[in-house]
Amino acid sequence: MQSSSYTRDRCVTGVHGLDEILRGGIPYGSTVLAAGTCGSGKTTLGMEFLVRGAATGEACAHFTATEPSVKLLENIRQFPFFDMGMVDSGLINVFDMDVLYSWLGLEKASFDLEDVHALIKAITDIVNTIGVTRLVIDSVTTLCYKIKSEQLIRDFLFTLGKKLATLGCTTILISEITSATENAHWSSFGVEEAICDGIIVMGDVERMGHLLRFLQVVKMRGTAHSRAKNTLELTPLGVMLTPMLKWGSTVDNKQGWG
Amino acid sequence: MATKDNLVFSSDDEEYFGEAGSFGVPKFDIEMRGGIPRGFTVVCIVETGAGAELFAKQFSSPAEEPENTLYVSTSESGKEILRVFSKYGWPDDINVRTIGEEYNERVLEKELQASRYRLQGFGMKDIQTLAQTRFVDDEADDFLTELTNEIMTLKPYFRAVVDNMDFFFQRNDHSKVVSMLRMMQAHTQMMRGLLLMTVSKDTITKATESEISMIADMVLRFEVFMVGTEFETRMVIKKFRNAPENLAVITYRVTPEEGITPETVQRIA
Repeated sequence: MQSSSYTRDRCVTGVHGLDEILRGGIPYGSTVLAAGTCGSGKTTLGMEFLVRGAATGEACAHFTATEPSVKLLENIRQFPFFDMGMVDSGLINVFDMDVLYSWLGLEKASFDLEDVHALIKAITDIVNTIGVTRLVIDSVTTLCYKIKSEQLIRDFLFTLGKKLATLGCTTILISEITSATENAHWSSFGVEEAICDGIIVMGDVERMGHLLRFLQVVKMRGTAHSRAKNTLELTPLGVMLTPMLKWGSTVDNKQGWG
Repeated sequence: MATKDNLVFSSDDEEYFGEAGSFGVPKFDIEMRGGIPRGFTVVCIVETGAGAELFAKQFSSPAEEPENTLYVSTSESGKEILRVFSKYGWPDDINVRTIGEEYNERVLEKELQASRYRLQGFGMKDIQTLAQTRFVDDEADDFLTELTNEIMTLKPYFRAVVDNMDFFFQRNDHSKVVSMLRMMQAHTQMMRGLLLMTVSKDTITKATESEISMIADMVLRFEVFMVGTEFETRMVIKKFRNAPENLAVITYRVTPEEGITPETVQRIA
């Protein structure tokens, strides 16, 4: 009989403050939606998640659909926590979705069921062959724009998440949202949030004339976690999360979520 | 690129090339009262088996300037084309472009590879290459634009053949092909070149046929039909700009010595 003190193994993110919020890290094999507004630090968070894993010898993969990998690497290499050697040595594998589409003959405006299955197979093939344990897809919004049916998006994310979990891969799906307020959806298509094991919301909140970035873990299956807002700072050492103080807000009473 | 304003034809060149060029079929030149006027675009609307491919090659055979003569094939290989040229003793130093082969290499092989990846998945080596590939090979597969550009760069008195246009009509919007044809016709006229294109009768609609017939300076229809137990081939000259007296129905045969050879001529006008 299982003890009530059973806890799932964790994928320690290594992101300062995030593991504390998650009481030790993301449960292994989870698919987490990191939904954030423009400039909220989603890509940096995703990249740091990979770098911290690679630093402990984990194989990582990053699929970039929003910006070319060359640009992504140029932007990220200014952070001292990032080491280009990890890319060169194959610990962090960065894939351009455009290249992947081209290789799979998916250079088209919209994907059908067969295309979606080909994409899932390609991603899981890569994860399985390299033994990837940390994966970031940036962004799932851009990717899902090519899938016209809501049902197909749901199938895509569900099947992908299930297969990656079976392979022991912890995945962050980055999602672009236009607003992170309490009334906002945390996904662009309305289906991602229901399928993912966890939801991390990132956005901006105004404090005394300053626009602060915040991060909030809204949902994380398999672990207790704080649901408080944390300020997110992009420091040279990486993402730094600190609990947000309640005082001084000029908009909290009106907007609640930021 | 030459424009109307800066284009000057020397009298020596004018004398050398003359008012008209040869069709590559001496008897046909005679029937057309001296050949094909410089600057003409000829569209051949063909039926399968009528021998239009051979006529297209024969048309390029006079090759007044081999380096300024272009033969574009969308279905044959370079070797096949040269074999025919050599069989009839036509010059084999003209420029030959085999778009069909290029298509196989650039598009079909890529599609086959994509199917393989989709079916069999990626191997470790593939993944390593994929992870190091930062840009999509965006070599445009717009063969129609490439063809138009290639024709548009040909110099005065050029001779060019495109056999055949079905390839472009089947892969592009017909109005786009017609627009490109219009540009090529204008360039041919300006450069006093000679351009011949073939297109299968069943590939284009009546509307497209009438549009390209309007653009072309000369329209030939190649037909094949049964007479008793034998095939007969004939060429109908449906349009000859400014020379309606040349409109005719010409039956022809193919001989090993001369290629396409007119036999009987029936005047229409």
